[in-house]
Amino acid sequence: MAAKSKRDQMIDMAVLAPLDWVDERTGAVRGTKWFLFRNVPRDISWMQTLGSAALTAFIVQTVTGAILAMYYKPSSEIDPLTGKPIAYSSIEAITNEITLGWLVRGTHRWGASVFIILLFLHMGRVFLFGAYKYPRELQWITGVLILVMGMLMGFTGYLLPWDQTAYWATVVGINLNGTAPFAGPWLAQFLASGPEIGSDTLPKWYALHMLLIPGALIALIFVHIYLVTRLGVSSPPWSKEAAGRERTAVEPTGARAGLVRGSGGD
Amino acid sequence: MARDLGELNREEYANYKDDVKKEGKGFFPFAMWHDTVMSFVVVCVITALAAVWYFDADGTEPGLLGPWYTEPAEPGTTDFIPRPDWYFYFLFYLLRIFEWPETVFIATVGIPTLLLILLLGLPFYDRRRERRPLHRPVAMVAAVLTILSMAVLTWKGATAKEALGSELVLLVPTWAEEQGFADDPAAVTGAELFAQSGCMNCHVYLGEGNANLGAPDLSEIGRTNDAEYFVRYLTNPAAFGNNVMGSYSYLGQENLEALGAFLEASKGPSEDE
Amino acid sequence: MWPIAFAVGVACLLLGLVISWIVAAIGAVLAVVFGFLWARDVTRDVRDEVPAIEPETRAVADQPSASTTRAVATPQPLPAYTRSRFLEASTLGVGAAIGAVVTLPVLGFTVLPSFTNLEEDEADLGPIENFPEGEYVIASFLANASAGEVSRRTTFVRNNGLTEGGEPSFTILYSRCVHLGCPVQPNGPIDEENTKEINGVELRPVLAQSFGCPCHGGLYDAEGNRQAGPPVRSLDRMTFSIRNGRLVLGELFAVGNVSGTGANATISRYPWSVPGTHVDGVEAWLYPIVPSQVTG
Repeated sequence: MAAKSKRDQMIDMAVLAPLDWVDERTGAVRGTKWFLFRNVPRDISWMQTLGSAALTAFIVQTVTGAILAMYYKPSSEIDPLTGKPIAYSSIEAITNEITLGWLVRGTHRWGASVFIILLFLHMGRVFLFGAYKYPRELQWITGVLILVMGMLMGFTGYLLPWDQTAYWATVVGINLNGTAPFAGPWLAQFLASGPEIGSDTLPKWYALHMLLIPGALIALIFVHIYLVTRLGVSSPPWSKEAAGRERTAVEPTGARAGLVRGSGGD
Repeated sequence: MARDLGELNREEYANYKDDVKKEGKGFFPFAMWHDTVMSFVVVCVITALAAVWYFDADGTEPGLLGPWYTEPAEPGTTDFIPRPDWYFYFLFYLLRIFEWPETVFIATVGIPTLLLILLLGLPFYDRRRERRPLHRPVAMVAAVLTILSMAVLTWKGATAKEALGSELVLLVPTWAEEQGFADDPAAVTGAELFAQSGCMNCHVYLGEGNANLGAPDLSEIGRTNDAEYFVRYLTNPAAFGNNVMGSYSYLGQENLEALGAFLEASKGPSEDE
Repeated sequence: MWPIAFAVGVACLLLGLVISWIVAAIGAVLAVVFGFLWARDVTRDVRDEVPAIEPETRAVADQPSASTTRAVATPQPLPAYTRSRFLEASTLGVGAAIGAVVTLPVLGFTVLPSFTNLEEDEADLGPIENFPEGEYVIASFLANASAGEVSRRTTFVRNNGLTEGGEPSFTILYSRCVHLGCPVQPNGPIDEENTKEINGVELRPVLAQSFGCPCHGGLYDAEGNRQAGPPVRSLDRMTFSIRNGRLVLGELFAVGNVSGTGANATISRYPWSVPGTHVDGVEAWLYPIVPSQVTG
């Protein structure tokens, strides 16, 4: 074995040694390598990018949301300085005054719509490919739950600016839930924090939007990605080289014809 | 050789793993390259939407993608029409279809719950191993119908318009010009009353108002009857077989006559246009 | 020596309870320490050498005593309920207890306040002279002054004059549509010139005897009964009282149907529940108990 060049030795010390140190103790490096370099079917294409695109949109939402939380004030009390509800004033400030606030807020608002569109497209693609069948049933179920949680995020987030659109869409939405038999009126009263929307409603919806539903979403996404990594991505079912295709015996022709019993010579 | 479903499934999956091991390509860089490009497109689209939204609008003035925000929330308003975000439009429009009191809960919770149960249970009632779309007619037809109906419902929800008295009143000068009654003060007063008295919650007039409740379009109603008829009708709709409208006699005789003049002048857009 | 010291400790403790707590503390410490030493001395003969027994695992513990090879005779056969089983059970039990102590109050805190912390003030709408007889006035007020504008409510108030018994009668309709809660509009022009605003209460007379909801075309007549569209019951109403010639509003209630008009109307009253829920008819069975029946 040739002696390593000086440059290689330097790379060893600077990069590989620390990585080995971490890997020996955590297994993280070998795990990442497995994730990155694992095989996927050779015939997958752009259609299979919708899931990770949805994940990107979710990450955009999480990051912009976390930053917006630093400037948003979840209170429906009237701000004595502006004469408008405090939440509304904080949104106005984010949009008009705070540096680049308009961009982060706009990204968060439109990212939500893009996230939901991508979820639907991804669901449609999976349905088309029949990729909800064995062994991927749990993936489909977690996926549907992610869709539901995503739409709930949209619903709870819609209230936060506390403008007319937000308030009344929420009133109708809560009443819609209220019409469910037996438990409906109770669920509606819980959501509204009282018989009607009051001063406790906005903080509750903020907690739902920021903490509870994202927590559930992140857990579901973890399970979903773990499953797709473990079970593998499915090939397009119409593909000639689909992974998992039927095994048919190859019949030799030409010079080898007749050598295998049952195969015809030409 | 009869083998059970589980065995067939497991064998196919074993073949799959085998094929992937032997013939597959590495996730990085092949698949991840596609993922990265697509994610980049997504991020660009989101940023572009945000920029267009911001630069085209101004406070509560809407631009191409709507306003930055509407007015602050007013729980006591009588002057606002609620709307959800666009991805709920299909549910919103379902509520319009189920317009009878006994059927309300079907649209509010019945159908959405049913859809969710069907979605969640899909891997359990579709156990066939076939994945090729062209060999799954039921699945494909169901999918196409679902997508089409959700698309139609969403579009109809997006284009649905209702009548808000304070906004309709502003249309009176346009109506006056189109119908040609701008020089008739009684008709103009009648038009304003028409806009403010909730008539367009059920009727359509010159393209505005609510069309799906079975009430006739009144844009050309003046061709068939005169003002005196309308005054009698509005005083007692039941006498004319109309059991949905109540009496509008509370508006007072002067107001009723103004309404009559307005309706009589509504003969359809002017011919000399 | 130990018993004497122990006795001294107990005496100090009792004295200290009367004189000062420091003395009591010293006495307690003395009593504990010397009591222990005395007990240790006294039991010295009774305490054996601890025999060497193999560590108890589940397998060992669950088997009958024939498996033990100790020479020392066990006084009784090993009990069926073994130490390891006890430890398992109590670990789970204590864990469950911790879980309960942490989550139950939190869950209660999440859910219960929406049903228990309900405050509403009575709204004073001003002198009844502000409400001309037979005409509707749009009155908006704060249902809960400490909550501020978020509790603003709008009602349509009509002074009906006097009932047959000579009592003042008002019809107070709540402006939220009972289909899904959209704001209902009065079907008629608002008299802007006679609009008043006093102390956060806004009064706007309106020339209307019917009400319409723009959302889905619900139509209500002068008593709030549904005339057309999807509303599932009549418009909600509020109770009222007259104090010192002023109209004071009470609480909201749901209405199944109103027969008759004005001061002589008969109102079928039900506990308030969310718009969209039926209060009478077959479909009322879908909503057997609603929160306002429980919370009042």
